[in-house]
Order: sequence, then structure tokens, then C-alpha cells
Amino acid sequence: MTEIGRLAIVLGFIVAIWGVVASIVGGLKHSESWTRSGRNAGWAFTALTTVATGCLLQLLFARDFNVEYVASYSSSTLPLWYTFAALWGGMKGSLLFWTFILCVFNGIVLYQNRTRNQALMPWVTATVLTTGAFFLSLLVFITDPFERLSFVPQEGSDLNPLLQNYWMTIHPPSLYLGFVSTTIPFAFAIGALVTGQLGETWIRTTRRWSLFSWFFLSLGNLFGAAWAYVVLGWGGYWAWDPVENAAFMPWLTSTAFLHSVVIQEKKGMLKVWNMSLVILTFSLTIFGTFLTRSGVISSVHSFTQSGLGPFFLYFLLAMLVISVGLLIWRLPLLRSRNELESVFSREAAFLLNNLLFVSIAFTVFWGTMFPVITEWVRGVKITVGPPFFNRVNAPLALALVFLMGIGPVIAWRRATWSSLKRSFAWSGGFGLLVGALSIFLDGGNFYSTLAFSIAGFALAAVWVEFWRGMRVRQRIMGEKPWTALSRLIGKNRRRYGGYIVHVGIVMIFVGIVASSIFRVEKQEPLEVGQELPIAGYVLRYEGVEDASDPHVEILRARVAVFSDSGESLGMVYPEKRFYRKPEQPTTEVSIRSTLAEDLYVILASYEPGSGLGIFQVYVNPLIAWMWIGGWVLALGTGICVWPSWAERTAVATERAKAEGTPTDGRPA
Amino acid sequence: MNAIGPASGLRWLAAIALAFCLGGCEALNPVASDNKNPTQGQVESSLTCQCGCGLTVHSCNHINCSSGEPLKVEIAGQIAKGRTLPEILSHFENKYGEIILSSPTTRGFNLAAWTVPFIMLGLGTLGVGLVLWRWRREDPDITAGEEVPPSTDPELRARLEDELKKFDDRN
Repeated sequence: MTEIGRLAIVLGFIVAIWGVVASIVGGLKHSESWTRSGRNAGWAFTALTTVATGCLLQLLFARDFNVEYVASYSSSTLPLWYTFAALWGGMKGSLLFWTFILCVFNGIVLYQNRTRNQALMPWVTATVLTTGAFFLSLLVFITDPFERLSFVPQEGSDLNPLLQNYWMTIHPPSLYLGFVSTTIPFAFAIGALVTGQLGETWIRTTRRWSLFSWFFLSLGNLFGAAWAYVVLGWGGYWAWDPVENAAFMPWLTSTAFLHSVVIQEKKGMLKVWNMSLVILTFSLTIFGTFLTRSGVISSVHSFTQSGLGPFFLYFLLAMLVISVGLLIWRLPLLRSRNELESVFSREAAFLLNNLLFVSIAFTVFWGTMFPVITEWVRGVKITVGPPFFNRVNAPLALALVFLMGIGPVIAWRRATWSSLKRSFAWSGGFGLLVGALSIFLDGGNFYSTLAFSIAGFALAAVWVEFWRGMRVRQRIMGEKPWTALSRLIGKNRRRYGGYIVHVGIVMIFVGIVASSIFRVEKQEPLEVGQELPIAGYVLRYEGVEDASDPHVEILRARVAVFSDSGESLGMVYPEKRFYRKPEQPTTEVSIRSTLAEDLYVILASYEPGSGLGIFQVYVNPLIAWMWIGGWVLALGTGICVWPSWAERTAVATERAKAEGTPTDGRPA
Repeated sequence: MNAIGPASGLRWLAAIALAFCLGGCEALNPVASDNKNPTQGQVESSLTCQCGCGLTVHSCNHINCSSGEPLKVEIAGQIAKGRTLPEILSHFENKYGEIILSSPTTRGFNLAAWTVPFIMLGLGTLGVGLVLWRWRREDPDITAGEEVPPSTDPELRARLEDELKKFDDRN
């Protein structure tokens, strides 16, 4: 199996290189035969990378410990699901997994565009295959996932215990889907720049890919936060670790693009800026991959230090030079007739929104790289940790959420004082009301009052938009409220889906603010039967039990939870786990979650002789809204990407034109 | 209707930029509040655990952490001596080096860590302001007082779609 896998990646690399050459020649010479050869090479790349990935999976499931990767990241007792997750648990496997996702996307793009975008496609294929060839070259020449050991270990080293969690089976794939899919809009942007077809085609073609990428980047970051929350056991979910930052930066620039592209679609403006954001987002995903694999920055997430760093840097620089060079070359064609009637307009709000997103992205980049810069300049190692990021980004985040309350309701082109008053009376009033309520409930914490007021303002702006739209439909069309609401959304999915995403973001924002400012924590040693009061709860330690299995020894504490009035609220079971391979202790938190707050209990240590347990307990207010916000965000994105009848008609008509067959465009 | 002109709008933008600069000044003073009588948690959050977890001393939850636990004891000792937060941080910086501080100091080259993001934001705001100024419409009278409130979209769309449907049916 290793021979087949190895052959597949070598052949995959060769056909990818051939595909790049053939596609470029086909694009330059407008030659159908060269282009077809490039396309076929693309299909071969997809097939061969799939075979290689299948081979590595098979070796993992067969527990072939003679293969270095299998021996390093799995064991005979590793549950099947985590054996699957071992595919991306180590560096070699993760690079192959990355390439596999790219090859799947490549196949989808080739299929979707078999008759469309014929001028762009050679360049799209060349760009995707260049990226694919780069990743495969690492696997072929530097870090072979199919390397065999000179001996057969009796047992594997197993997957890192911290990775043996259900979130780890969905967090990395989500993030990888988000990272890798940025290649597709980037490839179309390169195609548009090379061919000079800089109109709406590439934007329209990549609209769903951009949303898809943004969606999975969002989910990937949220799943990562959830993993940190339930696995790392420090009561938090985001530590501004360099690798977290690496995943956050492309999300920020991608979000900026999703907003500014609306201006291009509606007014034909910001073409250079949008192209720059697409290039920047792709570059940041490669930069993130560089960070995790170069060892340039220490991080709990990093793979072991390797010699791969310089190769990622060279690839990143090469792609930047080519794309920025093309952008500069095409500047004359990208100039658009820009005009703005007022700073008080939706266009200006979008510009400010982009400024803030890019500023936060820069701040995160700056903070992440500052230790490296300081070491270069002063030769001194320093740390840039959460206090820096929180302090610098907090005002920017507040301003962004404030703009979320302005953008949806301010008029395009030019607002007037009267329209501003009319638009913001409800949302502003609601924001103030929420602020007053916040003062009443939390005793007047300045930061939380400001943050909750702004969140209320943004939420009310969305509500007002839905309400007004519904009322208009009810009045004009005579529809019932639910019908009016569903048709309002159905008739303009992108706009109203986007508003629902805003609601999700506000929920996440509220969860972050409340859990950061009002978190209560306590650490105390307890003997069996002793109680620990904290923030309206009383916890009673009732002893420990053994819940071991062949893979892991589990010491589970039984803790009864009561309200401070004595009402029983159930049990929590924090655990200490001792993994047999590698021998590593971990803590498993137990969380009692409600919409109001999480009771988060950790068994910090345990003395077998006395039965004394040391418990670390946190009460995190409103944190459940972060995760609910994630689902709302997913719902909103789903509505945005769901094709409307008009879009399906346009696609069908376009396809019919290309194929020369008549159609009325209606879906079957 | 009183349309808001570019000059008025840009004044607002300048005010926003000023607000961000003030935000930056606030950020420059990370230990301003409650620094005379710091709490254990406050000091722990200002120091980075050296065990490799990447978290602050306060957040590190490694069992019997070889770095975090002695540091917590040392912090408690410093607080018991009645020292202020800057004094305590200075003690740890002198003893373990700058790497132990969880955020850069506001001295010398480290000042760049705090100021550059806000300088860039200020420059960005200035850039956006200049762009808006260049893009302002030369002849505002053409559309003065005109606006397209988003709330009227559904009505217009509904009417348009109704008319188009009738048109389709007739054909």
C-alpha cells in the first residue's frame, strides 16, 4: 500500500506540473488541445491525490506500524473515529489532507466549468495545480507520509490525547475547508487578471466559493474555540495563540471582501480593492500554514519544527509577486468610475467596515509577528499575549459592531438628517434601553454597558429591517406575517441571510463580552462531603469513581450541584485521564450549561490516600450564546448560498446558450 | 430634506479618527487602573507561564505546573509586601527577563507594538477620508435630497415582480 501511495503522490506531482504547463500554453495560444490536456491533468491530479489519501487511511486503519506516520500518530487501541482524525493529526498527513481537499475542489471547479468560463479556465486550472504541485512537492521530496521504518514497532505512539476529542474530528477539517477553498476565488482572480476579463463574471462565479470559504473559516474558528473550551480546561476559549491568529486573519479579510464586493456588484467600484482582498486572503492562508509548520513562532498548536518553513515562505512570496504584478499590470483596466455623494451613505459605511476589518487583521498580524521582529531588532525574546490583543482590538471590535447597526439601515448614495433620525430612532432607542438594563443588572460596568448597548443597537437595526420589509409586503401584497417573512427572505436571500449572519455575530459578541467581564472563578481543595459556594451555586464533592477502559485510565469525580437556595440542579463529573500511550495526564472538564451561564468544573488534582480533590470552578455568563450564535451564523450563510429561482434561471440560460440548446430556464 | 454634504461628513470622519487615537492612548496605559493594590489574579494575568503552554500564569492549568505554581507563590509574596503592580512587574522582568510579561512594555522599541496598529488605523482613516473626498460627487444638486431607503426595496420588488409575472403570463 505504501508503494501505491508513494507512486500516486509522485505521479500526482508530475501531472500537476504538466497541467500547469499545458494550461498556461493553452491559455496563451488559445489552443483547445493544450487546454484540454491541462484539464485532463487536473482530473488526473484529483484522482491520484484521492488514491494517495485513501492509501494513508487504509494504512492507519490496518495499524501498519511499520509506516512511520502510522506508528507516530495511532495505536492499536485508538478508537476508529480518532484513527480517522489521525489523518490530519501529524504534519505529513495534514499536508496530504490539505492537498486532498484541494483536489476535490479542483474536481468540482472542473465539472462546474466544463462549458462555462472557457477563457478563464486554463488560468484557473494552472493556479490550482500550481498550489497542488507545491504541496505534493513537499510530500514527494521532503516529508514522505508513506516512509517505512527499518523495524516494525509492536505498538504505535498514539494520537496526542488532547486531540482525542470530538471537536478535533470536525475543527481541523472545517478550518482546512475554509483555508483551501480560498484558492478557488484566488485562481479565478488570477484568471481574470491574466485574461483581462475583469467584469462581473469572475465575481459571480466565485460568489459561492467566497461564502463557502468564509463559512468554513467561521465554523473552523468557532469549533476551535469550542475545542479549547472543553479540552484545555482553563475556562476560556481563545488565547490569541499564533495559530489561532493565523486562522483568524483570513477570516477577517474574507469578511471584508464579502462586504466590499457588494459595492462592486451594485456600483462597479472598488475593483482593485476587492482583487487585493482576494489575494490577501489566499496569502494569509498560506502564511498560516507557514506559521504552523515553520517553527518560527512557538505555539501549542504547532506541528514539530521542520525544515518546511522556507519552502512555504518562497511559495508565498512567489504567489504574491505574481499576483501583485498582475494586479499592477491590469490597473488601467481595473479603474472604475468612483463617485460618492456623501460620507453618510451605505457605501461609506462599507468602506469604514473594510477599514476596521483590515485594521484588526493588521493588528493581529503585528501582534503575532512582533516577538519575531523584536528578536531580530533587539535580540530579546518577548511575549505578546492576550492582554495586548484584547486591549488593542476591543475598541475596533466595538466600532465594527456599531457599524453593523448602521450599515443595514443607512441609505445608499446619500442619507439625510431626517432619514437618519427615522432609521435610527428605533435601533438607537433599543440600544439605550439595553444599556440602561445592563447598568441595572450589572451595576454599571462601563465596558459591558457600552458593549451591550452597541449590541442592542445592531440587533435592533436588523429587526427594523425585517419588520419594515414584512410590513410593506403585508400592506402591498396582503400577505400573512409568516408568509410575508418567508417571501421577504426568499426574494432576497443574500441580503436577509446576511442580516441573520449579523444576528449570529452579535450573539457571539455578547457571549464574548459577558464571559470575559463577568466571569467568576474559584479554586479550592475539598474533602468528600465538603461544599464550595460560588456565584449562586453550591457544589458538594461526593467522591470519585473509576471509569477506565483499555485505552485510558479515567478517574471521575462526582460533584452534586445545588442552587444557593438548596434546590438540586443535578450532577457534574469532572475527570482526570491518564492516557496509556503516550503516558500523559489530561483534565476533562464537566460543564453544566444553560442559556444564562455555564458552570465549568475542573478536577485540578486528587490525592488517592486522603481522597482530597482540588477543584477549579468557573461561572461563565452567557457563553452558550456564542455557540448558538454560530448556528445562527450557519443558518444565515445557508440562506445566502441557497440559489434563488432567478439565479437558477440565469445559470440554466447561460448553460443552454453555451450548449446551444433552447430552454425556458425553469428548474425541473 | 437636509442632505448631508461631503464636508460635514468628513468632519465626522475626522472625529471618528480622533476617537480611535484616544482609544490608542488608552491602550498605551495598560496598567493604569488599580495598580496600587493589585490582586493576585491581576498580576497572574500580566505574566506568562514559562511551561510552554503559551497561557498567562492565571490561565495555565497544568497539574503542579513547574513554572506556574512557584510563580503564583512568588506573586503572593510580592503582593504581601505591599508593592504596586508596576513594581511587581518590574521585579519579575528583572528576574526572568521581558519574556515573562504577557504584553510588551511601553518603553523603547516595544512602544511600537502598541502604537503602530493605531498609527496604521489613523493612516487608513486618513486614506479612506481622502478617497471619499476624491470620489465625492462634483454636482451634488443633481440628487440633493434624493435617497433610496432600503426599506422601500421589498415594495418596489414586489410590484416589479408582479408586473413581470403578468407580462410573462401574457406572453
